[in-house]
Amino acid sequence: MESAQVTKVSRTGARLQYVKIGRFLARLLLGGLFVFAGATKIYDPALFATELERYQLLPWKAGVAASIYLPWVEFFAGLCLLVNRLERGALLLITLLLIVFTFALAGALARGLSIDCGCFGHTIMSTGTIVPLLRNLVMLLLAGILWMEYR
Amino acid sequence: MKSVRQAVLILLAALVPAGLTAVVHPRRPPWSREKLSPGEERLTTVLAWGSNVFWVDARSQQEYDAEHVPGAILLNLEEWNSLFPRFLDQWSPEQKVVVYCSSASCEMSHEVAVRLEKSGVSPVYVLKGGWEEWKAHK
Repeated sequence: MESAQVTKVSRTGARLQYVKIGRFLARLLLGGLFVFAGATKIYDPALFATELERYQLLPWKAGVAASIYLPWVEFFAGLCLLVNRLERGALLLITLLLIVFTFALAGALARGLSIDCGCFGHTIMSTGTIVPLLRNLVMLLLAGILWMEYR
Repeated sequence: MKSVRQAVLILLAALVPAGLTAVVHPRRPPWSREKLSPGEERLTTVLAWGSNVFWVDARSQQEYDAEHVPGAILLNLEEWNSLFPRFLDQWSPEQKVVVYCSSASCEMSHEVAVRLEKSGVSPVYVLKGGWEEWKAHK
């Protein structure tokens, strides 16, 4: 009886360990991607403004403001998630940004626009919108895993 | 509620470097853009149309031979009679025609666009900035 209980406890402990490692990896990947995405756009905001224009969603001036401000939000949110400071706020911002980006990409796809997503500046130029859209969905899944910690 | 408070803090923190970027970054985007003349389109818009574009090079044969937009065909006023039939052979009506010449100041692309429209070709656009814009973008 006692040994069965010990086995159950050790199994639960191992499961918790896996969950912990999973969350750590999700945070590392999501935070790292956002820091990288932010940094590449901070390096060349003019390029990001041009990429945003291709989505045909914002007037030029609003696109310029977004191209200057959003990369810093991405960078700080990613950094906070990585270092585990203000992590709930960072996760909230990352989730909201991912939802907005996903809708923008889906909208571009629906309107037949042929665009690079502009997600990583000049470093990763992916033609078409499907790959970035799928990547966003995977990142949303990672965000979902992290949200489970705060239930 | 804690999440929202923290998110606001991050948003406020991002304002500071963003403000600096807007003022001193060497690659900051311009706040205003030149207006388009009637019939003109920006390269970013044309690229967003994807493969549904038929490029027309309105420069001289010599300039065209040196370099041109991939897939573009030569069509200028000097050799109109010999080049226009070739245009008609290759263009399909569902394609948007985009004409360019050397730079923003050249008028040849506008003249070719007008002549194409008079010949029943539609829609026809002129690339703002012309070949120089294309080269700068690539």
